[in-house]
Amino acid sequence: MSSIRDRRGSMRVALTAIALVVAACGGSTTASTGNGLGSGDLLVGVIAPFTGADAGLGPAYYAACLAAAPSIDNNGGVGGRKVKCQQFDTRGEPADAVPAANQMIASNSNLMAVIGCTSDEAATVAPIVDRAHIPMFCMTGQSEFDKTNLKYFHRLVPADIYDAYAMVGYALDGPSHSPYKKVALVFGDDIGSQSFVQPATNSLSKLGAEVKNFPIHLGASSYRTEVASVIAYHPDAIFTEALGSAGTFLGEFKTQNGGQMIPFVGTSATIDPTWFQQVRDAIGVDTLVKSYAGVDLGYTFSGPAYSEFLTNLNAASSQFPDAPKYKQRGSTLHLYDGIIMTALAMVAANSAKATDYNPKIRAIASGTSGATVVNTYKDGVAALKAGKSVRFVGAGGENNFDQYNNSQSGYIWVNYNAQGDEVKVGQMTPAQTQQISAAGGV
Amino acid sequence: MTLYQAAFGFGLVSMSVIAVAAVGFTMQFGVTNMINLAYGEIMISSAYVAYYLNRHGVTIWIGMFAGAAFGAMFSVLLNRLIYSPFQRKNTSHLGMVIVSLAVSLMIANLLLPIVGYYNVSYHEPSRIVRLGGIVLTTNQIAIIGLSVGVMLGIHGLLRYTRMGKAMRATAANPMLARNCGIPTTRVIDAVWLITGALCGLAGGVAAVNSDSFAIADGAAFLITALAAAVLGGAGQPYGAMIGAIVIGMVTELSAAAWSADYKEVVAFGILVLVMVLRPQGLLAKRGAMASAG
Repeated sequence: MSSIRDRRGSMRVALTAIALVVAACGGSTTASTGNGLGSGDLLVGVIAPFTGADAGLGPAYYAACLAAAPSIDNNGGVGGRKVKCQQFDTRGEPADAVPAANQMIASNSNLMAVIGCTSDEAATVAPIVDRAHIPMFCMTGQSEFDKTNLKYFHRLVPADIYDAYAMVGYALDGPSHSPYKKVALVFGDDIGSQSFVQPATNSLSKLGAEVKNFPIHLGASSYRTEVASVIAYHPDAIFTEALGSAGTFLGEFKTQNGGQMIPFVGTSATIDPTWFQQVRDAIGVDTLVKSYAGVDLGYTFSGPAYSEFLTNLNAASSQFPDAPKYKQRGSTLHLYDGIIMTALAMVAANSAKATDYNPKIRAIASGTSGATVVNTYKDGVAALKAGKSVRFVGAGGENNFDQYNNSQSGYIWVNYNAQGDEVKVGQMTPAQTQQISAAGGV
Repeated sequence: MTLYQAAFGFGLVSMSVIAVAAVGFTMQFGVTNMINLAYGEIMISSAYVAYYLNRHGVTIWIGMFAGAAFGAMFSVLLNRLIYSPFQRKNTSHLGMVIVSLAVSLMIANLLLPIVGYYNVSYHEPSRIVRLGGIVLTTNQIAIIGLSVGVMLGIHGLLRYTRMGKAMRATAANPMLARNCGIPTTRVIDAVWLITGALCGLAGGVAAVNSDSFAIADGAAFLITALAAAVLGGAGQPYGAMIGAIVIGMVTELSAAAWSADYKEVVAFGILVLVMVLRPQGLLAKRGAMASAG
């Protein structure tokens, strides 16, 4: 039988062990209880589809984190703290996204930011992340976030409706073709994909074109009857996204149409190496280059921010061989910027507590009066330490957040070249944007 | 009218693809009593075997048979190494379903870093053939022919060979079959070999049918095969053939008649209706693996 002293001793050992375990698990314990940047690694949670029909999305976001981490770590970290990246797979399903988000938050007290949350899962994930007071950068185009009350939500890309308007702009005013008067809309039948349909339908109809929606079930093994219906409609062009299924649909279209492809216009999500590869394999590179047009935000793919991004992205190939493929992927550029902005916000707030640094993100992205423009984390930290306010203009260009943390910027029209790089062919003018969005009325 | 004719032609292709998968799945269940939820993942693995051969210049039709051989060997090993040990310990049916689900997830996640998450396509020349309003490619016509050949082969195996009779006897009552001198262990191995080959072949056929496929498609392959098998009566090869005809035709014709949005709703609505009116499926009145004739 053990004595009371022995039992007290055992109790002390157990309490000490528990305290050590808690200290080891909670990297941000110091920071979360007061000001100061704390110690231990910081984590960026990449919550996105890594499996399932939209499995091509998650890797683009993970690549952004892998490129951003060395930009921060090689320049002193966030107050000496290194940044790590971890994937949390939602499978592109809201039902799978909820446990993934809960698990991410419950098992990581050192989350500095969450990136990803596509249209597949943003509606379920964003409120969970917001309740945990973690800044997030979501790649959703859903209009429900246009005027969101979620304070930790940030969106660096326009809502899907603006993609739709840019596609309409290309159809009616794009270069090197006469206006498309009859358009078939081929998007997935899920809520995220269908958000393109109403604005495109409204604006095309009001501007004199004929339009019909042909929803498809993403992930199906064949779309033969759907393709036959589209061909029977005799459209001048197809608007599409159909992530994961574009190769199947367009391949069957070309086959049934006697080997001929009609022009097809893709959303900004189709500016993606995996989308290019699957469609190229299905219809051939010559047909793809000849028939495809897409819309994208106006990136320059140059400047000091992009150079650092590109260097780090190429270096990330040792951890993730596909990383360099995302050198021109808009979402990769934007999420890279989002992570850098978050790190700068932490330095500016001198706090690892999100309630302190979250409001600084908007100020650093949009800038305040007299702010010094910086393009890298290193320059940003130096300016902040010199007592200046900063505006970060990153690899994805300028950001202009509204009161709901939605950033807006202008659209360009692009083609692919045979290597899968985007080639700018035109630009939406403000007048065109105004006319089409007024007609869209959404 | 042309759209309906076209949809009828596409229905012929769909039912041919589904039939190969569903007959293999239902035979496997009929004899081994195993609901193998890893079936879809073995299909997609076999499709990738054919894909890698195709990338090295091998015609897809040879690649497909290599995929069938892979599916056969994989299935036999899966049964010997994983399923049989659990069955010997009298693991419940539900337990075996969970084991097969775990195997399915393991295969999918092991394959992901090897084959990647992106869609791939076979390269096989094909040309359009028009028969009135029916528009098919030569590859699709070959799939229909292949499927008919496989169905006739299965019919011949079950009806006219000693192995077929032994399989039916093992399916009906394994203990009695063993007591009558039938080597049931070897029969079960043969069943895994044959149904594994059908599974592998179905993967190749489904991938040819779809212009582009990815690792994530395994689940979709399984659901369609499962639906046809259940509709026809679990364990009934001839029932699975009828189930494939119903599901293949209904999905395509309903897409032409209404909206493609509802084609799966209509197909699975019919499945639910049949299950309500005839829970044992269309052809299950004479026990597992009974002959339709």
